[in-house]
Amino acid sequence: MTRLASYEKNEGKKNEAIGRYFRSDYIGWQVLKSIVSGTICFLIIAAGYVVYDFENFMMDIYKIDLLEYAQGVLKKYVIVVGIYAVITYIVFAIKYSGARKNLKTYAHNLNKLSREYNNVE
Amino acid sequence: MTSLVMARQMIKRFYSKYEAFVLPIIKFLIGLVCLLIINSRLGYMSQLNSFVIVLMVALMCSFMPLNFTVFVAAVFVLGHMYKLSLECLLVVGALFAILFLLYFRFSPRDTIAVLLTPICFIMKIPYVMPIAAGLLGGPTSAVSVGCGVVVYYVLEALIGGAGSINSLADEEMTTRLKFVIDTVLSNKPMLAFVFAFAITILIVYGVRRLRIYYAWFIAIGVGVLADIVLLLIFDLIFDTHVSGGSMILGSFVAILVGIVLQFLFFHVDYERTEKLQFEDDEYYYYVKAIPKVTVSNTQKKVKKINSSKKRSVPRED
Repeated sequence: MTRLASYEKNEGKKNEAIGRYFRSDYIGWQVLKSIVSGTICFLIIAAGYVVYDFENFMMDIYKIDLLEYAQGVLKKYVIVVGIYAVITYIVFAIKYSGARKNLKTYAHNLNKLSREYNNVE
Repeated sequence: MTSLVMARQMIKRFYSKYEAFVLPIIKFLIGLVCLLIINSRLGYMSQLNSFVIVLMVALMCSFMPLNFTVFVAAVFVLGHMYKLSLECLLVVGALFAILFLLYFRFSPRDTIAVLLTPICFIMKIPYVMPIAAGLLGGPTSAVSVGCGVVVYYVLEALIGGAGSINSLADEEMTTRLKFVIDTVLSNKPMLAFVFAFAITILIVYGVRRLRIYYAWFIAIGVGVLADIVLLLIFDLIFDTHVSGGSMILGSFVAILVGIVLQFLFFHVDYERTEKLQFEDDEYYYYVKAIPKVTVSNTQKKVKKINSSKKRSVPRED
């Protein structure tokens, strides 16, 4: 009973919040958040790269094929954000299955406790 | 040993009884130590160096979640960086933004690891962190400790290059920015420590979760060995010149801290292991139960000794 109360107070709250979602909704939402944060990170790094190599960038900007350059940047963006999204998918899929398992055990133990109370009465 | 177990139980009882007071005090101390260390290491902005401001902010931290302390520490660092140069502020600000996005996505509850990693580096015991994080945290603690390592090395690099940055005051902004980025990126020990610590955390976590006897002790031993080997490998790859003496001494301290953590959080008696079988309506259970080491409280008996006993006085008729 003490362990149930402790779970309910600490980890249970977090797991309950996760358990309210369907698996696909929860993981999809987390991946979406990661894509947004990954995009921001990519923009920061890209801006840093441009500033770092500003002189060369400004000299080459009229020589380079802008469409090809944009395609190259886009390819890098897709690779970086894609890897980030896949890592997010794996991490949150593990988190979700762990939370569901814990909630199931909690519900099972709660039923058991309730049955024991009924037997005593 | 019994007295140590009793002391641990007393600490636990005290903490659970006065949690409402103990937790803010711990948060206050963490905030105070962090801000004082930031001011002593950086200290470029005189307004932030005032002890009264530090005290007030630390008091605020004591009533807020621990992530607020991370935020305040970042603001203090950015304030000092602004005073050092605008370019430093931009580079460190961009780096903090990336780290915050990474950290808050994966391990927002590992605040203590982010704060303690730079402190352990300053105290010359960084090898404690991967062992402690692997024992008490999860695999995502690697992100938190990695963030701590990056913050420490970036700030140390900028402190070391502060003189050169100031000497470039007459140059163009792009030149200064390039110099700051070069200073930050040429930090090879940072990469070595980030990779070594991240892999060590995963190894320690994996081993301590195994269903084997003395898993925590094995995890500590394997973790320390893995840390040393990985740092030596990365030392060869990145040519970092990690000091062997400090590595061995730090690893020894890491073992001691690991044993203390094991005693506080996973002190079990393997000799009294029980194997049980039982069932309910839905499952059969095959359980291996390992009891925690506890000492029953000594019952205090209060013996009343009455000094003045009523004496029966013979009646005179």
